[in-house]
Formats: sequence, C-alpha cells, structure tokens
Amino acid sequence: MNYPVWEVQGIGLPWVIGIIAILHVMVSQFAVGGGLYLALAERKAIKEGRTDWFPMLKSHSRFFLLLTGVFGTVSGVGIWFAIGLVHPEATSTLIHNFVFGWAIEWVFFLVELASAIVYYYTWDRIPQALHLKVGWLYAAASVCTLVIINGILSFMLTPGATWLGVAGSGHESTYFWNAFFNPTYWPSLMIRVLVCASLAGIWALFSFSRLDEETYGDTRVAMIRWTVKWLVPAFLLMPIAFLWYSAMIPPSNKHLLELGMATIGSGSFTQITRIALLSIMSTATIAGVAYLFAYKYPRDFSPSHATAVLLIGLLATASTEYAREAIRKPFVIGSHMYSDGIRVSDVDRFNKEGFLAQSMWTPTGPSVTEEQRGRAMFAGQCMYCHTVGGYRSMKHFLEGRDAKAIGNILTMLRQNKPDSPYHAYMPPLVGNDEEVAALQAYLLTLNAHPAPAPGSVARR
Amino acid sequence: MSKIYEYLDERLSISDLKKFTEKKTVPNHKYSFWYYWGGISLLCFLIQLVTGILLMIYYKPGPDAYNSVRALTYDVDFGWLIRSAHSWSATIFLLSVFVHMFSVYFMKAYKKPREFGWWSGMALLILGLLFGFSGYLLPMDELSFTATKVGLAIPENIPVIGHAIASLMRGGLEVSEITVQRFFAWHAVVLPLLYLPLLMFHLWLVQKHGNAIPPSEEEVPFAQRKTIPFFPNFLMKDLAMWLFTLNVVAIMASLFPPDLGKMADPLGPAPVGIHPEWYFMSSFEMLKLLGKVITGTIGEAVGITIFTLGLVLWCLIPFYDVSSPKGLKGRRATYFGLFCLAVLLVTTLLGYLIG
Repeated sequence: MNYPVWEVQGIGLPWVIGIIAILHVMVSQFAVGGGLYLALAERKAIKEGRTDWFPMLKSHSRFFLLLTGVFGTVSGVGIWFAIGLVHPEATSTLIHNFVFGWAIEWVFFLVELASAIVYYYTWDRIPQALHLKVGWLYAAASVCTLVIINGILSFMLTPGATWLGVAGSGHESTYFWNAFFNPTYWPSLMIRVLVCASLAGIWALFSFSRLDEETYGDTRVAMIRWTVKWLVPAFLLMPIAFLWYSAMIPPSNKHLLELGMATIGSGSFTQITRIALLSIMSTATIAGVAYLFAYKYPRDFSPSHATAVLLIGLLATASTEYAREAIRKPFVIGSHMYSDGIRVSDVDRFNKEGFLAQSMWTPTGPSVTEEQRGRAMFAGQCMYCHTVGGYRSMKHFLEGRDAKAIGNILTMLRQNKPDSPYHAYMPPLVGNDEEVAALQAYLLTLNAHPAPAPGSVARR
Repeated sequence: MSKIYEYLDERLSISDLKKFTEKKTVPNHKYSFWYYWGGISLLCFLIQLVTGILLMIYYKPGPDAYNSVRALTYDVDFGWLIRSAHSWSATIFLLSVFVHMFSVYFMKAYKKPREFGWWSGMALLILGLLFGFSGYLLPMDELSFTATKVGLAIPENIPVIGHAIASLMRGGLEVSEITVQRFFAWHAVVLPLLYLPLLMFHLWLVQKHGNAIPPSEEEVPFAQRKTIPFFPNFLMKDLAMWLFTLNVVAIMASLFPPDLGKMADPLGPAPVGIHPEWYFMSSFEMLKLLGKVITGTIGEAVGITIFTLGLVLWCLIPFYDVSSPKGLKGRRATYFGLFCLAVLLVTTLLGYLIG
C-alpha cells in the first residue's frame, strides 16, 4: 500500500482515534450547544432583569472558554494527527474530496474562537446589548462548524450513490455537494444538534452545582432548574431522530444491527447491541437524575452528582459514537474503502497480483522469511482493528487453534461469502495463495503457547 | 385515591410511618459521602437476589453443573448477561461492603451504642465472603475447580478439626460433583437464610440509632450541626446513588462478561497462574508469604491463627476504644485501622504483581 503501518499494541489503532475523538466530541459538542446556551441565558437574564445571573454566566463562560478553546481545539487537532497516522489512506480520500469543506470549517473556527474570547473579556465592559450580539455571533459560528463537519462525518458512513458512481475516477470532488448532503446528513445533524443542547445542559449543571448553596441559594436553584430544561428536547426527539437515521442507512449496515440482535442470546456478534443498550440506559439515567433529582431537589444536587451525570454523559457519548463507528463495518468509507484501507475496486487485482507487491513498505527479496511476510500481511490487513495481545487480541481468538483451524478461518475470510458470519463486519482477506499461507504461518507463531498466560485467568 | 389511602391508613397506620420518616433526619457534613456505601451494598445484594433466582431457573447442581452453565452462557437468551451481572454485582457488592466497613471504622461508628451494628456487620461480611467462595465453584470449570481445591486445602491445616471441616465441605476427600451440590445448597439456601434475618437486624439497628457522625463533626456544637430530612431528601440522594451503581454494574456486565473455561478435569494438570478472586487475594498472599518464613503445614496453621486473631481483635474494637476520639486509645484504634487497610491493599497488590 502507499503508506507505512503505524503499529500500536495494547489499546490498538482504533482506540487511538477513539479516545481522542470521544473526549473531543464531549467538548466540541459542548462548544456548539454551550454557545447557544450562553446567548439564550444572557437574553433571558436581560429580559427578566435577573442581574444575579450575570456573574454566574460570566464565570461559566470562563470555564467554557478554557475548556472548549484549549482542550477542544487541541484535541481536534489531535484527531487530525491520529487519523493521519492510523488511517492515511482514508484520510487522503477525505482530503481529496473535502479540502474546500475544511477551508470553510477553519474560517468558522477562527470566528468562533475570536468571538468566544471577546465574549468572555467584554463582560461588564461593553453595552449589554452589544455583548449579547457577540454571544449570538459565537453561537452562529459554532453551529456552522457543526453543519460543515457533519457533512464529512456522515459521508463516511453513506457516501451516496452519485459519489460512489465517480469514486476512483479522479472527478470525485466535482460531486462535493452530493457527497456532503449524503443520505444520512440531515438525520445525523438532528441527532448532533440534540446532543449539543443536552451537553450544554450537562456541563452547565456541572458548573452551577459548584456554587455554594448557602451564599447563592435561590440563584443556584433557578439556574439549575432552567438548565435542566436543556435536556428536554433530546429526550423527546431523540427516538424520532434515531428512527430517521436508521431508515437512511444502507441495508448491509442494518444487517449488522440485526445480526447483533439475532445473536444476543449467545452473546456473539453483539457488540453493537450491547453498546446500544448502554447508550439507552445511560441516556435514561441522565433523564432520570436530571428530572427526579436536579429539577425536583436542586438544593440537594451536589458537585459529585453533577460529576456523575457528566461521566454518564461521557458513557452515552462514547457508546453512541462507538455504535456509529461500528455500523460502518466492514468499511471505513461506506461501500468504497474497507476498514483496512483497501478499496473495494482493488480487491480482485490484489488477489491476482498479490497484496505485498502493492506496498513499498514491506520487506522484499529472497532473504525475507515466510514468517516476515506473514507479519507484513498481518500489519497491512489485520492491525487496523486487531492487536497481537491487547484489544481484540489475536492470541485470544486463536487460542487452542491449530494450523488447519487457522487456515479455515483465513479461507472463510478470503472467500467472504455473503452467508459467512464475518462477511457483515470484516473486510475480505486479500492476497495470493502464497501470502495467505505466510499469514497462516505467522498467526500460528502467535499461538505457540496454547495454555493461558499467568494472570489472564485471574478473574474467572 | 384519598379513599384508598384512608382505607389503608385505618388498617396499616401509614400516616404514622409518613410522620416518622418526615421527622427523621440524616447528618449532613463533608464526610456524608461515606454514608451511601451501606446502601450501595444493599442494592448489590438485591441485584444478587434477583439475578441469582434467574440463574437458578437453568442451573443444575451436581454432574450437569458445567453443561448447564455452558447452555446458560451460550444458548439461553440473555443468559450471559444475567450471569455476567451476577458476577459483577458480587464484586461491586464486596467492594462496597469493604468501603462501608472501613468508613464505619474510621468514623468510629462502632462505639456505644452501636456495637451490635458493628458485630452484625462483621457477620454479614463473613457471610458475604462465604457467598463468594461457594458461588465461585458452581460453574465447575477448570479454574473454579482448581481454585476451590486450593481454597479448601487451607482449613485442612487447622489442627485436630481441620480435616473434618474440609471433608464435610467437600463431601469427601476430593472436590467433586458432590461438593458442587453442597456448595449450591450453601449458596442458594443456607447462606441466604442466615443472611436475610441478620440483614434485617442490621438495618433495624441503623434505623434505631441513626447515622453516627465522625469525630470531627462531634466537636461542632449541637446547634450548628447540619442535617437533611430523610424523606424525601436523603432518600432521593440514596436513590441517585443506586442509579449510578446500576449503571456501573450494567457497563461492566455488558462489556466484560466472564468467560467459561474448559470443563473441570480432576485428573488433568492444574491450569497455569491459579489465584483466587480479588477479595481472597490478600489472605492468600499473606499465607504464601508466611509460608516462605515458616514452611510446611505449621506455617499455614500459624497463618490461620493470625487471621483469626486479627479478625477477633477487629471485632472487639468497640470494647477497646471507649475513650474520647482524641485519647490515646482512640488514636491507637485509628492507627490499627490504617495498618489493617494498608496490609490489605499491599498484599492484594503484591498478589497480582508477583502472582
């Protein structure tokens, strides 16, 4: 392939992106929702003469600026680094299509950051009406960043028939807007806007729960109650948004969900279903705590409760994003590029000409052993999702299997028949016979010690 | 609605209960967080009851034990989830019981008039550990079988009565399907029968004496001490805590379900790296360390004696620490507690690090 493979053992490549992205989403969606929150809260305070709200909002906007302006921006750049290293092939495709999109995005980032700084530093310094206008400018710019990035994110699940028709022709970027307003663009935008609003509420609860109850009693109660209302739209409309979203995803991805549900009894192939259950449960918990607790008994709502809600919010975000990533399997860009960076259109050619022959980064020549070639196959096709002994550990999967059993699995992966259980979520194995044999030989070496390692038996 | 209420109230005096809960208060201070751990363990116990009953529908003690757990894990719809929840909730149960015990200890909540609360709590802890030990064998896979074998070899070393106790528990000289049958009877009948009335007693005592306050709070003049009403404020906080705990159990149970190993083979070699569940790790490691100093069965006998002695001292602390918290005995009791906590943590850690 065109790029070297970055090897990460332990957490594996997916979680390098995953950890950065989940934390980033927690904060960046707060940046979008929180802008609207600040503007609307300030407007309400002005209209209703609630002067006691201003110092609270000012301190919240400071927290907001530090969190979104520092952590949010740094982690956002972190995603760029991470995806470039983890998945150069897919990143390259995205850049070739959306370079214009990102240019627009950065303009909005600039406006967003500048107005956030101005907003915080001009509290009490410029007329209130003008200050509120700065707030609205921030809110608008940050909503626009979501509007743009959502096109690129949703493209990766559903590029749409028009774009797929020209994919690989070199004319992809002529169909920018088709790719941008792809089939899941609108439902995805709806979900994200709802999440942004509730994250604005959750972070504000975190912020206001820290106010001293005795000093700020009534202000605290009023602000917590008003903040809880920010969670309402999400809980009412999210089911509709999810139904809309799932109606728009292609049948093959839906099949993955169905496979998970059908096998829930045995617990196999059920990652998505389990994650979906967690996502529903954590969302319901937030709803329960927000209403039954924060709204009904705001005086008893402590910083630790707010922290717990925040952590459960993190769980909800993590599980929902994980599920979204997982239903994209076996592709990284729907129907175009498999999650190991191989284009659907290249599969036949690679099978004929060999996979390693395509890569300028694999060792060649007569001195290269079969095991080394097998390892290169492993790095080039398996390591995008698996590790040797950590996340989705190959050692664990292969435990107790001999050469024949491993060979059978590889054959199944290579044939990739529609009725194979792996078909729904793993890319086909590509390469010529000799390369597959080398991979088999390498995998067998991972399994040299079939007895469980000390410590691995600790729990059960 | 009000008519139904009246009907019930005349016969069951609900309004008395309501008046009572409205009057009841709970102290509110910076250590209040530690009040919730008893409640968390109660929730976990309730989860154990419910999931345990569900598991019983499919579980077959005796020779079919392993196969029934296998079917439960891989064939029965959501069987794996119930089993996983039972296993994780057991872990969180014991964890919260330990936190609860140490917080009670350091708040000196065992002092007059709460001694019986302390003793009944200790009895509940021991029963809880026995629940863990007996439940662990039930799947009868390689690991649980070997771990139980090792575990039951320990009482074997108690002088005079040791062999009789171990044989009684095993139902013979070896761990076998008879042992599973016996452990199941302990786990699902005997222990719950002992546990439930003791739990009621424990809760009644908590209710009777109210929450103890830590020494630092006792220095605050009575008029300045803060409280919150039990109903609805404390109850709501307690329920919020339950909801969070439930989330933790659900996360762990659905993301990290326990494996089922190979079927136990009494004649086969012991699997590598056998060690007990985390809550027995500390005592296991201490025995091992002691065994290096004093070798042979005497070493184990000495070890068991030390444990028993330590446990007795731990239980007798209310008789020792009767002075003011700042007095010599009060401080010594606190140091003893810190020492025990440190030993538990260090030996547990050592157990995992050096295996």
